[in-house]
Amino acid sequence: MVQINLPENSKIQKGEYYKDKTGSKNIRKVNVYRWDPSTGEKPRIDTYEVDMNNCPSKVLDLLNKIKNEIDPSLAYRRSCSHGVCGSCAMNMDGKNGLACTKSHASIKGDINIYPLPHLKVLKDLIGDLSTLFKQYESIEPWLKNSKKDDGKENIQSRKDREKLDGYYECIMCACCSTACPSYWWNGDKYLGPAVLLQAYRWIIDSRDEERKERLKKVADELKLYRCHTIMNCTNACPKDLNPAKAIAEIKKMLATNY
Amino acid sequence: MQNNNPLSPHIQIYNWNISSLISISHRIVGVINIFALTLICFWIVAIFFGGTTYEIIQRILESFFGKFLVIGITWSFSFHMLSEIRHLFWDMGYGFELKISKITGTVVIIGSFILTILIYLIGRQLI
Repeated sequence: MVQINLPENSKIQKGEYYKDKTGSKNIRKVNVYRWDPSTGEKPRIDTYEVDMNNCPSKVLDLLNKIKNEIDPSLAYRRSCSHGVCGSCAMNMDGKNGLACTKSHASIKGDINIYPLPHLKVLKDLIGDLSTLFKQYESIEPWLKNSKKDDGKENIQSRKDREKLDGYYECIMCACCSTACPSYWWNGDKYLGPAVLLQAYRWIIDSRDEERKERLKKVADELKLYRCHTIMNCTNACPKDLNPAKAIAEIKKMLATNY
Repeated sequence: MQNNNPLSPHIQIYNWNISSLISISHRIVGVINIFALTLICFWIVAIFFGGTTYEIIQRILESFFGKFLVIGITWSFSFHMLSEIRHLFWDMGYGFELKISKITGTVVIIGSFILTILIYLIGRQLI
């Protein structure tokens, strides 16, 4: 159901203010969403003054700097720091993206950092993505092919392979799904852009033999048709992919009995 | 077990862009149009009740409030129509590139006002 307001336990309080101790002249204020499961307090926004003279270019560098030099209690996911693993997806300056590829110079004014929207928070910037991964599992994201293993490659024409371009690159960072208002209101039933893009990626794979079953499975008023082409997914994708188009292609396939 | 963890903020913090703005406006305007169509039906039905009833409604429509209503409805229909055409192209699989969707979004917004003015001028027989 659509619930615009945050529940009572999620209302955000004013947090602590960490004044700069380096005496630097080049300071930026960074507002970070904090929530500690051990205290039972409501979430808060902590503000850090960060010395930008000694800070590399990305938002993740900024967070690392805060964690290393100012407040070690800050929790966030990160791994590859090159936009490949999708761990450090978060909401920066009102838009979802990867902290490791988002340049902080592109943000004007104070830098606001929140976890991915409309998720249960585990701690600070870490949201609970287990529903999304359950949904991912439900579309059975693996090749279904009855061919016996004869020790040879499963050959795909160059043209068929090209159809996967723009879809196989998805790293499942969940930026798109958590940017989607439809997914906010119906996240338990609607599959969301990330999972539907993956579904499409398997539907159009020429080596897969269960296209019809896959299409039938996804053709559902709630699972698929909650997409109203709001385009927040495509706007958010840090890999410049187009989940909205993938969903539209699935709808088109179903409409034309492909 | 109930999960008592807080919900991260969503619509409170997420940036609007043209596509999301038009999407929500499309819905709101759609609901308004249902009421507008009902009003138009009542207007037609009013003819059956004879000249006096029709004249009363005519007088309301010619007042400032009435004119505001008529022009407002003209805009809401224009907007909904143009936005729906954009959706039709999307349903055919065109126009998903970010740049193009931004351009078509702007066209819908500006176009809805131009269409309103055009309909007004044609209705007033000024062109």
